[in-house]
Amino acid sequence: MASTTAPPAHPARAGTPSEDGASPARRPRQRHRLAAWTMLAPALLLFVAFLLVPIGYALWLSLRGLRLEGGGPFGRRVETFVGLENYATAIADAEFLAGFGRLLVYGALAVPFTLGLALVFALLLDARAARATRFSRTAIFLPYAVPGVVASLLWGFLYLPGTSPFSWLTDQLGGGAIPFLQDPWIFASVANIAVWGGVGFNMIIIYTSLRGIPEEIYEAARIDGAGEWQIAWRIKVPLVAPALVLTGLFSLIGTLQVYGEPTTLRPMTSAISQTWVPLMTIYRDAFTRDDLPLAAAESVLLAGLTVVLSVVLLRLNQRRIFGGS
Amino acid sequence: MSRKSLLTAAALSAALVLSACSGGSGSGGEGGGDGPVTLDYWAWGTAQPGLVEAWNAANPDIQVRLTDAGGGTDSSAKLLTSTRAGEAPDVAVVEYQTLPAMIVGDVATDITDLVPQDVTDAFPASTWDLTRFNDAVYGVPQDVGPQALVYNSARLAELGITVPTTWAEFTEAARAVRAADPNAYLATFNPGEFGFFAAMAQQAGASWWEVDGESWSVGIDSSESVAVADYWQQLIDEDLVKVEDLLTPQWNQELNAGQILSWPSALWAPGVISGVAPDMTGQWAMAPMPQWTPGDDRVAYQGGSATIVTTSSDHPEEAAEFAAWINTSQEGADIQLTTGQYPASTLGQTTAEGSAPPELMPQQTDFWTTASGIAQNTIPAITWGPNVNVASSAFQDAMAAAVRDGQPLSSALAQTQQAVVADMEKTGFDVSG
Repeated sequence: MASTTAPPAHPARAGTPSEDGASPARRPRQRHRLAAWTMLAPALLLFVAFLLVPIGYALWLSLRGLRLEGGGPFGRRVETFVGLENYATAIADAEFLAGFGRLLVYGALAVPFTLGLALVFALLLDARAARATRFSRTAIFLPYAVPGVVASLLWGFLYLPGTSPFSWLTDQLGGGAIPFLQDPWIFASVANIAVWGGVGFNMIIIYTSLRGIPEEIYEAARIDGAGEWQIAWRIKVPLVAPALVLTGLFSLIGTLQVYGEPTTLRPMTSAISQTWVPLMTIYRDAFTRDDLPLAAAESVLLAGLTVVLSVVLLRLNQRRIFGGS
Repeated sequence: MSRKSLLTAAALSAALVLSACSGGSGSGGEGGGDGPVTLDYWAWGTAQPGLVEAWNAANPDIQVRLTDAGGGTDSSAKLLTSTRAGEAPDVAVVEYQTLPAMIVGDVATDITDLVPQDVTDAFPASTWDLTRFNDAVYGVPQDVGPQALVYNSARLAELGITVPTTWAEFTEAARAVRAADPNAYLATFNPGEFGFFAAMAQQAGASWWEVDGESWSVGIDSSESVAVADYWQQLIDEDLVKVEDLLTPQWNQELNAGQILSWPSALWAPGVISGVAPDMTGQWAMAPMPQWTPGDDRVAYQGGSATIVTTSSDHPEEAAEFAAWINTSQEGADIQLTTGQYPASTLGQTTAEGSAPPELMPQQTDFWTTASGIAQNTIPAITWGPNVNVASSAFQDAMAAAVRDGQPLSSALAQTQQAVVADMEKTGFDVSG
């Protein structure tokens, strides 16, 4: 998130004499390198064991399928090689693709609101005239600390006609219950939960970035006659652009992987099907339909799409993040 | 200096790696030839803790550990995936409808040779059809759930409505309820409830899966099923039943407020209602399910489960012994009855006739006599297919979409049929029409 990179580690200087007077140029560098690798070893081991091996297994599993062996009406389903059949099935599955369409709508609501609100709050907290900043920071950040399922249940009850205080209010005023959990408002309702939970986290990132801007720039701007609004819009926002791209990337990845909110809300509404978002389809295929290879293929497709979109986002904003004039 | 840093680095790395590795969990049960055998048992429902306790007290050398792995759908999904890891429990409870999928998924092991004659004799011959496939027995029947109508007798009496005995009368009663109280409904209809709809279709004569020699035939969108779908469609269109998910906080609240006046389900329903509406004791009663033809008495099963021994078990003989005991012993039957399960065993059903009625309806002293009459008229030999889990999930989504988009429910049946046949053919089954 910082726009500057850390300075490179200071290498061992050649020519330093070692204790026993042997070749000074090689020993210290070898020892440092060995020490470096030993320090890295646990992280590398965990990376290989918990990231590379499962990814490799998923790729391998996606090329397999459960097929009948032993003929007759009660043969057994056994894993065999099926090539790219799972990928073909996944791409041809209308529900799986429709899930992506729904993600587009959800993302169009969740991402701008999360980032927009996070930016506004960060700017407000950074303003000179801001009061009670510590309390406000904690209060805005607090929803992030609520676990996803708890937040979804909480909001679910706030949406259900029978228990919603908002619906009660509109009911008293004669308008009937608010259709939070019906199409098409369901998108806004689910996005709201994500926005509520995500604003705090993203606000902290942007706020930290704002705090890193030297005060002299603002003083120079004020001397030139800029008002607080102009400082915020024309100086602060461009300078936190790297942080915005970072939070944008997080939000994008989070949108592609949304699962907890729709799944928790599903028992409360018929507007959310078992395949409302791609991850729900993957879960259904893996565990309800007992077709792990198909789910593996779908996961690979989803992960591939995430990587592609992330790379595109970063490329488009290359200059803003990595410096350059 | 650099040697010290190297040693420190090595020590830290070793500590980190060791702390990152946690001890693995054992699979199946433990214990060997000498020493107590421990069996893992996955089951849900209020009857289970009592059954396990009774067994453990009487059998110190075979101890059973109970885990509630969730209801029928959840635990069957977990059984399939844990079997792939070889870590499934020794014994598990599986609903009859899911049993073929468990066999094909290599979860349930063949226990024909582990079931002694006295256990075979403990059940009516037709009950073994529920767990016997291709002449092999895969589970010991535990309870059966013949369908019955559970209704709010206090409210129906208050509104002056008689209990329907045919589906035509049910429609009339539903109209009368709506006319008498605009806030109340005779029943709710959950479009996704696969087990209920399947039982209704079977009562009407549909056969969703059938084995013809070496191949399967699938009849989910048969004319009888479509007739049932059209019946409930009419009730929905005329706003005579409320379309709602069961047992949600919303539904429970409406039940308690007397706005839902009946629950067409099965004999296990009183126990469930006691759980969500404990204050309604004495206000509910049970009657046989409405029929299509007046004077008929056919009903299907809705739910009910068997106890299986898994292929992952290291102690199949002990596991089979446990499974047999909880389902055939007197103590087992007593515990099943007090917690609202209707036992599958002959002993259990005979004991039932002498028992007190369920907690919810102490005023209905003929509950168990009516129940045993219903149980004797259940449709024999209903076949479930090898991919009921696929059918269930396709059915749920198709029905919910049909209700949401205003499409007829029968179109959902057609979609389910397509999905089920496609899945069976993809797996490699021979499906004939």
